Amino acid sequence: MTDIAGVRPPRLLTRDARTRRRNAAEFRFRLYGRVAVCIGVAALIVLLASVVANGVGAFRQTFLTLDLSLDAAELDPSGARDVAAMKKVTTIGYGRFLTRQLKAAIAERGIRIEGITDSDIAGMISKAAPAQVRDRVLADPGLIGRTVAFRLLANGRIDGYLKGRVTMKSARLDGNVSPAQLRLSDALRKDGMLAMAFNWGFITSADASELRPEAAGLGVAILGSAYMMIIVLFLALPIGVASSIYLEEFAPTNRWTDLIEVNISNLAAVPSIVFGILGLAIFINFAGLPQSAPIVGGLVLTLMTLPTIIIATRAALKSVPPSIRDAALGVGASKMQAIMHHVVPLAMPGVLTGAIIGLAQALGETAPLLLIGMVAFVRDFPAPPPEGFLDPATALPVQVYNFTQRADPAFAERASGAIIVLMVFLLAMNLVAILLRRRFERRW
Amino acid sequence: MSDATGLKIAARDVDVFYGDHHAIKDVSVAIADRTVTAFIGPSGCGKSTFLRCLNRMNDTIDVCRVSGTIELDGEDIYDRRVDPVQLRARVGMVFQKPNPFPKSIFDNVAYGPRIHGLTRSRGELDEVVENALRRAALWDEVKDRLSAPGTGLSGGQQQRLCIARAVATAPEVLLMDEPCSALDPIATAQIEELIDELRGNFSVVIVTHSMQQAARVSQRTAFFHLGDLVEFGETGQIFTNPQDPRTESYITGRIG
Ligand SMILES: Nc1ncnc2c1ncn2[C@@H]1O[C@H](COP(=O)(O)OP(=O)(O)OP(=O)(O)O)[C@@H](O)[C@H]1O
Ligand SMILES: [Mg+2]
Repeated sequence: MTDIAGVRPPRLLTRDARTRRRNAAEFRFRLYGRVAVCIGVAALIVLLASVVANGVGAFRQTFLTLDLSLDAAELDPSGARDVAAMKKVTTIGYGRFLTRQLKAAIAERGIRIEGITDSDIAGMISKAAPAQVRDRVLADPGLIGRTVAFRLLANGRIDGYLKGRVTMKSARLDGNVSPAQLRLSDALRKDGMLAMAFNWGFITSADASELRPEAAGLGVAILGSAYMMIIVLFLALPIGVASSIYLEEFAPTNRWTDLIEVNISNLAAVPSIVFGILGLAIFINFAGLPQSAPIVGGLVLTLMTLPTIIIATRAALKSVPPSIRDAALGVGASKMQAIMHHVVPLAMPGVLTGAIIGLAQALGETAPLLLIGMVAFVRDFPAPPPEGFLDPATALPVQVYNFTQRADPAFAERASGAIIVLMVFLLAMNLVAILLRRRFERRW
Repeated sequence: MSDATGLKIAARDVDVFYGDHHAIKDVSVAIADRTVTAFIGPSGCGKSTFLRCLNRMNDTIDVCRVSGTIELDGEDIYDRRVDPVQLRARVGMVFQKPNPFPKSIFDNVAYGPRIHGLTRSRGELDEVVENALRRAALWDEVKDRLSAPGTGLSGGQQQRLCIARAVATAPEVLLMDEPCSALDPIATAQIEELIDELRGNFSVVIVTHSMQQAARVSQRTAFFHLGDLVEFGETGQIFTNPQDPRTESYITGRIG
């Protein structure tokens, strides 16, 4: 013991073996850390890059600009400009009308494509286009008799050709598109009739059927998700925070509270699909709430989010030093005042983090929503809240799942596009959380 | 209000248990009005524990049980009808470790007057805060940064802030648990001056490890040892003529 100093004379400028070993260990540890961080970041970048690369296409869409002379004899046979009577002309009628006008426009521009048939020309525009024109005419009967420029959705395959997904070679094997149509596309593009533009419809319109991927949008899903987030926020946050404060600060410690505590921890680990089954049994079968409704989805997600919020809030409350409570009680504050004036504000950043993690989880959750019928194909927009909470809707993650289930390759692009929208939502929520947290933390 | 004998707090046969641990053993103390009473004794003998009984701060500790009676102006503070919050507004406390709120210096001091509705206008509140900070010998150091966080002060300044916070509520009894342990001699002298001044209106109970401080500021001294109240009497008498050999060896530095 005492001869250590003799064996190893103290020298500061040379490192002894023990110090070198210690430094080497620290160096290795830092290296592992850097490698781990790099792997994580690389994985994230690859993931994001692939989603973005696959999905940006969904935000641009091919449109065909066409001047339509809205012929009164064909679109309003009664001639009275009476909307009820005009409704007798169906989308099939409008489809024939559109085909004829397109054919005329092509001929007028002197474009001649060998071997092109009438049905090829009809197939250039989306099956959703007749309804697009019809809706606009019915909304404004005064348009009849005039010549109006319309921007019509092009068929999904033509859109695919402009995006490089469809080629001459693939068109020869594809029953849904012919090489003649692609040559016509080239000609129309040169003419300026066919062009790509930002696709607002992807964000605002409802989902569309298998046959018209070019018209499919996320509008109903975005609304549905937003409605559910509102429900979760207004139910889970107050209930979660109130019960955490009660359990942490007021509840006596006895067998009951222990039991509740264990249950909450367990609930956080329950697979989300179980909550879906619960929602189906209780909210739909027992309480008789409608299927596919955001209210049911919101309630199920609230149940799912509660444990997360409670656990995070309690951890935040626990981390407030007890001396702060003593200080408040010592000047004669009541327990409630001590908690509300001092403990909760200090715990607020942690509470917000928990709430946002919970909300983000809820926003991305798919499985329980499948069980309560939110996977259904919904074309109609839900009404504004609160009635809209009972209308059928879908949700963003479910819409992603739905898109990936469809055969047409154009839907793959839209699935990735929907993921981008979902991620933008998450990012926005995190941003709000960071800003709020700053606001609470900045004061001290 | 005090009765004819000048008795403020009367504790009789008080026992305190932390679970199975018997921390205070059958202690009876009479604390006079408008005097300073010092609690001395070796570390862990139960001074803080007993002090916390006097404003029922021990209620916040789950395992803590108190028996016996403690009367403030003749009313039992452990009576079932007593609301401890009302009691603590009258019996203020400065803790052993400085514990300012993570709020501004001003808000720290103003908190008590605010929740008790002691002031009617902002001007009045400003006055109360300034007065309290002056009495705690902190005003000159912080008057230019009242909106700075109280937690950003030095340890000694924080302790004086806590004293100002307690004083601002205008309690009748002020319990101080080693208020000067983190202070330099100058601030200590100022606090002792404050204690002496407070004696004009309140009773003060102070826990201290400094014999000199006890001798300087207090009129009566209680010596605790292992949970027992060994000796309680006039400060002068305790320090010059202790009756119990344990007291004598403690104040002469042989135990503790
Ligand atoms: N919260 C608690 N739970 C359990 N035991 C406690 C608790 N607080 C104090 N004790 C015990 O009670 C006894 C008295 O503690 P107390 O804090 O009153 O001592 P003290 O005289 O103030 O000491 P010091 O001078 O070091 O502050 C000690 O043995 C301590 O271990
Ligand atoms: Mg102590």
